[in-house]
Amino acid sequence: MPEILLQYEDEIWRSIGQTFIMVGISILAAIIIGLPVGTWLFLSRKGKLMENPVVFSILNLLVNIIRSFPFLLLVVFLIPFTRLIIGTALGTAAATVPLSIIAIAHYARLVEQSLLDVPKGVIEAAVSMGASVREIIFKFLFVEARSGLVLGLTTSIISFISYSTIMGVVGGGGIGDFAIRYGYQQFKTDLMIYMIIIMVILVQFIQFAGTTISRIIDKR
Amino acid sequence: MIELRNVSKKFSHFDAIKSINMKIHKGEIYGIIGASGAGKSTLLRLINLLEIPDQGEVEVNGQVLTKMKSKELRKARKSIGMIFQAFNLVANKTVYENVLVSLELANYSRNKRRSRVEQCLEFVGLKELMKKYPAELSGGQKQRVAIARALATSPDVLLCDEPTSALDPNTTAEILSVLKEINEKLKVTIVMVSHEMDVIKSICNRVTVMANGEVYQTLSIQPKGIQNLQNSPEWFVEQLGKGGEFHA
Repeated sequence: MPEILLQYEDEIWRSIGQTFIMVGISILAAIIIGLPVGTWLFLSRKGKLMENPVVFSILNLLVNIIRSFPFLLLVVFLIPFTRLIIGTALGTAAATVPLSIIAIAHYARLVEQSLLDVPKGVIEAAVSMGASVREIIFKFLFVEARSGLVLGLTTSIISFISYSTIMGVVGGGGIGDFAIRYGYQQFKTDLMIYMIIIMVILVQFIQFAGTTISRIIDKR
Repeated sequence: MIELRNVSKKFSHFDAIKSINMKIHKGEIYGIIGASGAGKSTLLRLINLLEIPDQGEVEVNGQVLTKMKSKELRKARKSIGMIFQAFNLVANKTVYENVLVSLELANYSRNKRRSRVEQCLEFVGLKELMKKYPAELSGGQKQRVAIARALATSPDVLLCDEPTSALDPNTTAEILSVLKEINEKLKVTIVMVSHEMDVIKSICNRVTVMANGEVYQTLSIQPKGIQNLQNSPEWFVEQLGKGGEFHA
């Protein structure tokens, strides 16, 4: 083990922990809110089961606006909102707010795209069997789109990791912030490179896991 | 059994169905034939309201579907089975699960589901393929699964939208015999859309010929039985006519 890593062991572990908290909360937000929002986007489209131009336009616009913000500006823009719900705009907990917002928008779009790949005939067969919208979602759409949903989540998680690296601006910490403050700003280039290696390993692992799971559950 | 009264349907500015009246009796095998774009599939899909008519009434088994609220309509659809040209199975569910889902939707009593699925798969001759996924089956086998799925809830009516158009002649004959058996043994009224004359002639009692969204004529016919349709190489050559042999 290189000496510099031992020297900063405590800080490194704390940074890794902060990254995991920020990314973990983002994943939860993506699944708990992004998945339903993406499903609703799909269903409210023209010609779909819950066609509604008003709902679709609003959701579509919101998702586009959030995703078109440069992320750093979104963080700043959301400071009053973050203060409102967390009580402070600084720290790891506060950092999860803008991350969750982008996570929801990011994953919702990928969910919508995965659902668009489900053959129309399968949904038609479900309707002809007297399935309700709820039953169609859970017994047909999600079953048929499951490998796409997993791959989409994998792509999203990797983006969340990337987004989380700039959360130092609001004191969110994390591996990226550590690499910038200790590695870059204090000219410890070796430390910065070690942090990058940790990120690369993390991303490789997540991509491998996501691809493997999606392949196993894909029976099409 | 099935009655359409002055039913019409427009797609944007195209009149797909122009004020059609039609009566289908209990126990019939009823054919709908016509060229592409004649409106035959749309007509079939109006029976279970997969297409909502712009005007007119649809009655199935004494119930007027066009007057129903969505919850009642969903219940009514459970006694109208449907199969499709593209089979429309859930690719991520096994054969067993594909049939099971139709029982789940119908709230079929939980402890009888397994035996009912097995019984339906037995009927179409696929019980031993229960654990396979659709991607591992041939076209004919997929259509059999779709038939088992449609029959699981014991419907009174089976709507067939070009059920054999994706299949070769031998498999077509097999599927037609399954349909005939369903009609005879289970007393299910069958409405079948096809563009293939041989298919219609082999099992239908009555046929509607459609053109430009209208009923051109409805005829009673004597089903001539399922021909031993062949697809041996000799048969293909014979059908093509024995032209001069080709020498390269």
